[in-house]
Amino acid sequence: KGDKAVTYEQAHPPHYIAHRKGWLSLHTGNLCGEGGAAERTLEDAFLRRFLGGTFPGCVLDSVVLKRRGNLVVLSAVLSRALPPHKIYFLGGYTETLLSHFLKCPVRLDLQTLPARLPYKYL
Amino acid sequence: MAAVSGVAQARAGCRAGLTRYCRRVVLAPFFGSAAYSSVPAVNSREGQQTEGSARRRGRTPQSVRAHIPPRTERMAVDQDWSSVYPTAATFKPGSVPLPVRMGYPVKRGVPPAKEGNLELMKIPNFLHLTPPAIKKHCAALKDFCTEWPSALDSDEKCEQHFPIEIETIDYISSGTSIRNPKARVVTLRVKLSNLNLDDHAKKKLIKLVGERYCKDTDMLTITTDRCPLRRQNYDYGIHLLTVLYHESWKTETWESEKAEEDMEEYIWENSRSQKNALDTLIRIKASENVSNVTKEELLASEVVKDYRNSVVALKNEGETENNMSRYKESVKKLLNIQVSL
Repeated sequence: KGDKAVTYEQAHPPHYIAHRKGWLSLHTGNLCGEGGAAERTLEDAFLRRFLGGTFPGCVLDSVVLKRRGNLVVLSAVLSRALPPHKIYFLGGYTETLLSHFLKCPVRLDLQTLPARLPYKYL
Repeated sequence: MAAVSGVAQARAGCRAGLTRYCRRVVLAPFFGSAAYSSVPAVNSREGQQTEGSARRRGRTPQSVRAHIPPRTERMAVDQDWSSVYPTAATFKPGSVPLPVRMGYPVKRGVPPAKEGNLELMKIPNFLHLTPPAIKKHCAALKDFCTEWPSALDSDEKCEQHFPIEIETIDYISSGTSIRNPKARVVTLRVKLSNLNLDDHAKKKLIKLVGERYCKDTDMLTITTDRCPLRRQNYDYGIHLLTVLYHESWKTETWESEKAEEDMEEYIWENSRSQKNALDTLIRIKASENVSNVTKEELLASEVVKDYRNSVVALKNEGETENNMSRYKESVKKLLNIQVSL
């Protein structure tokens, strides 16, 4: 007991959203009177799986998605398992491929850490 | 694309070498102080040549490279911040030289640091909108702006020259579609005092539009959304205004049948109140045996006029202290009642 490291995201259950956590995906679809929530949610699910698969084992924490008008900004925290030229290649690959899939510009912001940052140990 | 680390970094003791699937040794050095970088640094094993990738640009010796420290440590205090964050971007801990902490702290601890902090990445930041950056934006946009016409320097002048206000709303949302069905609504606002209407036309117009007229502000508001396009709704709104204007000037034959219930405001002439007042006064005069005074004389007399004004005020404006006291005074004068104190 007390040896399972969890990140900040994992340590807080969902009722802490808007109190101690923010939203992982920001778009206007969930606002009052706006449409497109279902399409955005579907796109979010696809994007998270895509990134999880393109950077196998490297994604340390949930991907943060932001939508600014047409643009989709993905912010991911990766581990340093892959050498940098591979990371750059995979980053460019995701950006181009996703732009073609979603028909909108996609930007990827990457951050690397040596290892998963534990928030606390459960 | 290689990140060449030309910075001599103090390396702490232990290095762990891990053999990966591609049989290339990746070093994950553990340093005494955390050295995170947004740009992945070059790692190479001693003496091992990699395939001719861009990593070797002739400047990197074949020694173990550490992770290069983040950009923040090389930032000058007086650097140009608008080139670090020229546009809206996610928070990058390696580019923001502030020791920001965010998150709920663990018990007897501090909020988590900025490296790998999802909370800082989730929120929208305004690092690209510092005052010097905004000044630059304004300076760049100035070339495309024209001056406000100097003749329109007050609200009244604007209203005088442009009496009709058109309101349309554009909607931005995230997603690949720019269409929003709510964007087709057009609202026209005009003050009736700016239209050329006589008394009959104004009353008829107000009756025609009904709820769309606000008496307090004298504003007619027409909202159209029945057409699919904004341009069509605007044309329809203008057409409605034109039709209302012309129709209100016309007098139909059946308008002569306007009854007392249709009147918008109380008119004293030819009303019951006038009849009653005149009848009472004539009877008073008859009982006093004064020579027959004609109706016109009575109507022209001061007391009757006073009474008329107070009744009209009561009916049109409702019962206020002022109105009630005026009515009381006028009735006392009319019936010649002297209150003896």
